[in-house]
Amino acid sequence: MTFAVPLYITGVVAVISILIMVLFLRAGQTPGSADWIQGARSNGGMVWSLCGFLGYMGAQSVATTFPFALTLGATRRHFVLGTVFWWATTAGYLAAIFTALCALELATGHWFADLYIFDVYLLGSGSLWRIALIVFGGTLSIFSLGGVFAASWVRFRNRGPMALGAGLVLLILVALIITVPSFGRIVDAFQGWWLMVAAAAVIACSSVGTWGFLRGSSVR
Amino acid sequence: MTTAIDVRSVHRSFGRTPVLHDLSFQVPEHSILGLLGRNGAGKTTIMSIIAGQDRPTSGEVLVGGHTPFEHAPTLNTIRYIRDSQRYPDDYHLRHVLRIGPVFAPHWNAELADALVDGFALPARVQVKKYSRGQLSALGIVLGLASRTPITLLDEPYLGLDVGARRVFYDALLRDYAEHPRTVVLSTHLVQESESLFDRVVILDGGRVVASGDRDEVVGGLVQLSGTTGAVGELIAGFDVLRTDKVGGLCSALVRTDNDLAAAAHRLGVQVSGASLQDLVASYGPGSRTTEEVAARPARSPPPGCT
Repeated sequence: MTFAVPLYITGVVAVISILIMVLFLRAGQTPGSADWIQGARSNGGMVWSLCGFLGYMGAQSVATTFPFALTLGATRRHFVLGTVFWWATTAGYLAAIFTALCALELATGHWFADLYIFDVYLLGSGSLWRIALIVFGGTLSIFSLGGVFAASWVRFRNRGPMALGAGLVLLILVALIITVPSFGRIVDAFQGWWLMVAAAAVIACSSVGTWGFLRGSSVR
Repeated sequence: MTTAIDVRSVHRSFGRTPVLHDLSFQVPEHSILGLLGRNGAGKTTIMSIIAGQDRPTSGEVLVGGHTPFEHAPTLNTIRYIRDSQRYPDDYHLRHVLRIGPVFAPHWNAELADALVDGFALPARVQVKKYSRGQLSALGIVLGLASRTPITLLDEPYLGLDVGARRVFYDALLRDYAEHPRTVVLSTHLVQESESLFDRVVILDGGRVVASGDRDEVVGGLVQLSGTTGAVGELIAGFDVLRTDKVGGLCSALVRTDNDLAAAAHRLGVQVSGASLQDLVASYGPGSRTTEEVAARPARSPPPGCT
């Protein structure tokens, strides 16, 4: 499931994206034109469709695996370290697949028909090192967020994810309230690496949070 | 006799709800202990603590001389299979058989295969779609084939049919004889499994109400039945564990070293031996702890036979 399902989802979204582009073609759009490229590269379906599954994988890698790992005699510390390592391995696998497919897309002139599947804005606009970093960082972030929510559930049952979710929403709202007067300047000064720093912070906080929740959890 | 598991004055509360009260008992190495008691007696909680999956609120549990919580060398010697054992979502039988040996250096693949065949566990069905009995069977495979020095089985045969339970009993006894280990087994099927136990601990309301060698624990137990007046007269002054009254008839479970045959014959009371199951069933609301029994041996006059 870990390795096959993301590829299956990617394949399905690729087919749907191609069909949509064929629809635009039939509607009179010209492949390769500036409008065509602009519209095709704005397609974020590939990213959004994977988020749900990756979040589920992150959550189940803690929620159901933790009791089983303890049954096998693992310590909580080793479980969290092993799980983070597994998240990183899977994120690396997906990054490699997406980078290879993007390279193939670029090498074939967008699949010989100006079809933009992986060369999209959200995945780095055709830059191979960017797509590798975005997929790796994004996947690892989603895994770790799913994991910390699952760990809060293991620790506090239904109250855990509810409190954690409410806390995160509050944090985001407070951050927005503080930064919104300077939003224009922040957008102007925005650098791509900020996202990687944010992803690193999310991964670090979530992993530490997962450990924090699980270290005192009892299996029930 | 080496002590494998030492439970010392363990208290455990969940929030404001106390679950275990000053629990103390020992499990000798290479023995099979029956952990018995009614629902909610605290069996699963103390097994979780022994397995390092939970911590006591106070007191301590030592396994092989170490506190098991987060102590990797000790945890590697323990295999605890819950009655509601969970597995990762996408697991099949092959995954369990593949990962079991990774965490159990003494894993026996032949035993695992024999149990899988004996329980007829399906290989193509996801574990999360297993029936209650199949989940129990898979837990038994994991628990026994691991051959860890400490094996904790919590209600291992929930949902198993008679034939499958026989497979479990045979496998446990055969493998235990060839590879002795310490086994703690909790069950409600007391009558069926009591012959497995070297020792028993009976819990009631989070307290130890009886513990020791199985024969000692059931020694001196007598079931008396007859008219209310006759039984009431006969049991006066004895340690009465349970009385049941129906109309003018009464039955009582008592513990005594005296020979009651002559007195029972004179009063027309029937005397029969009592089993471990009778003893376990005698505990519950209104029962007494060993301390209370020691402080006030006789519970007379018995409430139901006067």
